[in-house]
Amino acid sequence: MKTVQKLAIAALATSTLFAVTACSSGDAGTGSDGSGSASLRYWLWDSNQLPAYEQCVADFTEANPEISVKIEQVGWNDYFETLTTSLVGGDAPDVIANHASFYPELASSGKLLDLDDVDVDVSTFRDGLAERWVGEDGKRYGLPKDWDTVATLYNAGFLAEAGYTPEDLAELDWNPDDGGTWEETIAHLTVDANGVRGDEAGFDKKNVAVYGLGLKAKSGIGAFGQTQWSPYALANDWTYADKNPFGTEFNYADDAYIETIEWWAGLIEKGYMPGYEAAISGTSIQEAYGAGRYALVTDGSWNAKAYFGMTGVETGIAPLPVGPSGSRAGVMNGLADSVIAGTKHPEASKKLVAYLATADCQDIVAEAAVVFPAVKSSSDKARDAFLAAGIDVSVYYDAIDAGEYVDAPIANNWSSILAIMEPAVEAVLLGQGDADTLKQGADEVNSLFR
Amino acid sequence: MTMTSRTRTRSTPAAPTSRPRGSDTRLRPTRKKPSIGRIVAWVLLVVLLLITLFPFYWMLRTSLSNNLSLSSDPGSPLPVDFTLGAYRRVLGLASTEEAMAEGGSGASIDFWLYLRNSVIVSTLITAGQVVFCSMAAYAFARLRWTGRDLVFGVLLCALMVPVIFTTIPNFITIRDLGLLNTHLGIALPTMLMTPFAIFFLRQFFLGISREVEEAAILDGAGHVRRFTSIALPLSASPIATLAILTYINSWNEYFWPLVVGRAEEVRVLTVALGVFRSQTPQGGPDWAGLMAATLIAALPVIVLFLLLGKRIINSIGYSGTK
Amino acid sequence: MMTTETVAIATGGRTRRRPHRALGRENLAGWLFAAPAIIGFAVFFVWPALRGAYFSFTKYNLLTEPEWIGVDNYTRMFADGVFWNALGVTAYYVLLNIGFQTLLALGVAVLLHRLTQSLVIRGIALLPYMIANVIAALVWFYLFDYQIGPVNEMIAWFGLDRIAFLGDQTWAIPTIAFINVWRHLGYTALLIFAGLQMIPRDVYEAGAIDGAGEGRMFRSITLPLLRPVLAMVLVITVTGAFQVFDTVAVTTGGGPVNSTRVINYYIYDVAFTRGDFGYGSALAVALFALLAVFTYIQLRATRANQTDLG
Repeated sequence: MKTVQKLAIAALATSTLFAVTACSSGDAGTGSDGSGSASLRYWLWDSNQLPAYEQCVADFTEANPEISVKIEQVGWNDYFETLTTSLVGGDAPDVIANHASFYPELASSGKLLDLDDVDVDVSTFRDGLAERWVGEDGKRYGLPKDWDTVATLYNAGFLAEAGYTPEDLAELDWNPDDGGTWEETIAHLTVDANGVRGDEAGFDKKNVAVYGLGLKAKSGIGAFGQTQWSPYALANDWTYADKNPFGTEFNYADDAYIETIEWWAGLIEKGYMPGYEAAISGTSIQEAYGAGRYALVTDGSWNAKAYFGMTGVETGIAPLPVGPSGSRAGVMNGLADSVIAGTKHPEASKKLVAYLATADCQDIVAEAAVVFPAVKSSSDKARDAFLAAGIDVSVYYDAIDAGEYVDAPIANNWSSILAIMEPAVEAVLLGQGDADTLKQGADEVNSLFR
Repeated sequence: MTMTSRTRTRSTPAAPTSRPRGSDTRLRPTRKKPSIGRIVAWVLLVVLLLITLFPFYWMLRTSLSNNLSLSSDPGSPLPVDFTLGAYRRVLGLASTEEAMAEGGSGASIDFWLYLRNSVIVSTLITAGQVVFCSMAAYAFARLRWTGRDLVFGVLLCALMVPVIFTTIPNFITIRDLGLLNTHLGIALPTMLMTPFAIFFLRQFFLGISREVEEAAILDGAGHVRRFTSIALPLSASPIATLAILTYINSWNEYFWPLVVGRAEEVRVLTVALGVFRSQTPQGGPDWAGLMAATLIAALPVIVLFLLLGKRIINSIGYSGTK
Repeated sequence: MMTTETVAIATGGRTRRRPHRALGRENLAGWLFAAPAIIGFAVFFVWPALRGAYFSFTKYNLLTEPEWIGVDNYTRMFADGVFWNALGVTAYYVLLNIGFQTLLALGVAVLLHRLTQSLVIRGIALLPYMIANVIAALVWFYLFDYQIGPVNEMIAWFGLDRIAFLGDQTWAIPTIAFINVWRHLGYTALLIFAGLQMIPRDVYEAGAIDGAGEGRMFRSITLPLLRPVLAMVLVITVTGAFQVFDTVAVTTGGGPVNSTRVINYYIYDVAFTRGDFGYGSALAVALFALLAVFTYIQLRATRANQTDLG
């Protein structure tokens, strides 16, 4: 009747409106536009590297006019979830910047294309980088992009006030019993609200103005600890797992690990390091450092620029302390570029990946002075570029050249391992857990692999 | 007959601005001194407003600061190292070098394009919800049909559907409809219904006076006319409220538009401005840029509120009686 | 004025009998009016929910085919200490958040209704809702920073001990609740305010004639008449609060030591970060069931379908 007619007309009108809107908005989806030509999508997360890669890609498309490449930058926090959604939803990119934390899962799920037939000379990369991206089945799934490691960053002003020189920092040693000269230095650098230093009488550990050593909360503090306790544990004759990559038995129940964590938590007791509540209830270790709350910080090379950029503090880089094993141990990590297995253009994607791994492309990245590229020659150029920007990154390079590093672990179930160990180590730092807490965590971790 | 009852309501004077104590001033003599109760009430309101505004003041102060100097003077109530750089970055007026020099994100922003996209998507969603949800709410509140209460109960369950369930299937649905990277694709899942909108409007439709509606029936008005000429105008205030809240909600949506509308042409403002949040593992946000972005992104919504605001406070049309 | 017509509202108009033909038309009209919403519901809510329920019986990491494992995920859930902890943490959070938010919002709505008609003040009250949840969390995270945040600077200035708002296990959940109350207060107040306007002015006039004071009128007139809207506001805010995620993700990440690991964050963590979508789905189904039961109880207890007008 009348009502029904009116409603039917309304429905028709609305659906026409939909059809019109759907057609008039943007273009839907991607795809190749005809035989011979390919349109690729490349994902990365670091917006600071975007200009360099746009240049790389421009050069690539000039040399390969039948291939067009679109770079899409997706922030780190959303990267993996967006990637997963688009993989499941059938809208995945062709080439991605890959990270050790999600690479094993992608590889074991068959989502990465093997790159064994890509024409690349593995010896052009710095040592140890290319092997990390060879999967459990022996196939290569990524070509190295860059590398990073950890060192000590110091507040030059506080250092001078305490009567140290940067060279002093290069000669420190550490052990889990009394912390060695490393702990002595930290203690001396700690200053309470009354100006009393950590190693002097009358030091008020409840009222500290400047902590000798900063503490970074979360960020893999349990199982990884790259910028937290790894320099000590790894220099204490300890390794993450029975083998790397793809270890299946992790060593979080070892004495070497437990005594390291206990020594490290002890620094909080003594007042040389801020409490975990303070560290987690804060925006970041960098800001606290910039506000003059920390004298020393062990952080990664990928953040170096940010530390140096802060006005109000003068920063320097020093090597990590030498441990009982007789050498230093910074964790070395790195990224790679990979091809997604479902890509419609495998050959073109492989070409792109190969190009991204050449010196031509990585030289451009080096000049941007944001990261250290993987190709040896480009890596050296980056060192110079950083120097030109006012940052002397030799400490990182020297450590790697001297072999004083350990590869970051690549393993299946890594996210679960991180999730299990994090509350355990947090509990110890808060004084609510002890060696048994850590051992329980270790047990749970290893049961993932049985 | 229906018309007279409507005009009757309209002729009542508007919500009294000069008589803040509501209607009872007619019956009591106007007091010269405000009561203790009122003073306390005002004090509480002012305290609340201060707590509400303090973070915004902080956001303004940070947005006018230089990122690199921010940590050096964290407690300063004034902008640290005053600069308009953040606003220039947000509006896409700063070059990459300028941005990097202030420790900001170097991404390029086509501000007006993203603003346009946000407006289109939010308008689609709001218009859709207002139309379809008011129709549905009317059906649930004032029409009798088989299964009505059961369907309403089931619809309410949509409030509780976990977020991890909806993203991927909806992504696949939108892709199958060929609506990836279109404004409609971004808007569609929430455009037709959200449980909140239906629940909210139903409560108000339930409260419409029966008299007015029965007068309309006697007049021979069909369902559609009763809906458009009686129910809708009487519910102008709650509908305006719903519209503004829906607009704000859809304006601030982040993850869904990120996943479905990545192409430049349809990227919305929140997604584009997400570049000021931390982009790298363990990296920090571009604080000044982020604060500037937030303040600027909130402006269109504030404007909309001011435009629709009168409707929200207008308490007359509602109950249909004097 | 307040006569039997108003009672009819409560029963949804069943007092009138309509001719048979009109009933059939009304039936059709009802379905047609609700059709778009029902379609949207079916496609964008029901279908995903059913799919998710299916996944809860599988082992699935999103990237490979799901593998049916029956009720294993559910048995694992009952034995999972982190799950029960998450429920407890979330319940505590909801209690604090909704308790304060509802009381304050009611107060603010009444204040706005009785004190002032200013659009600017309403705008200010709604301002926190106009910025994204994540940004609100980030800003408060900075403000509450233990070492350099202004709040602690002020506290220290008064000579008191600094508080690790988001790091201390006793303060973390209340602080997260506070951040969300800050953001949603204006919004909730606006919803309640819309309900306040539903109450005809003559009801207050009659009360004033009878000599009732503000407080008495509030208790005996405003509250009872506000019940349907309050009930709705409660259902919406409680279900929303149980699903808190953004604030936790941006500030504490579930820590320290699981003290802020709310259920929705745990679900997301398990499903996406740890790639165990099957187990995550089971957890989500459990949350859904919990919320459904809770909502049903709430709606019955507050008799949300009826108004007291009359």
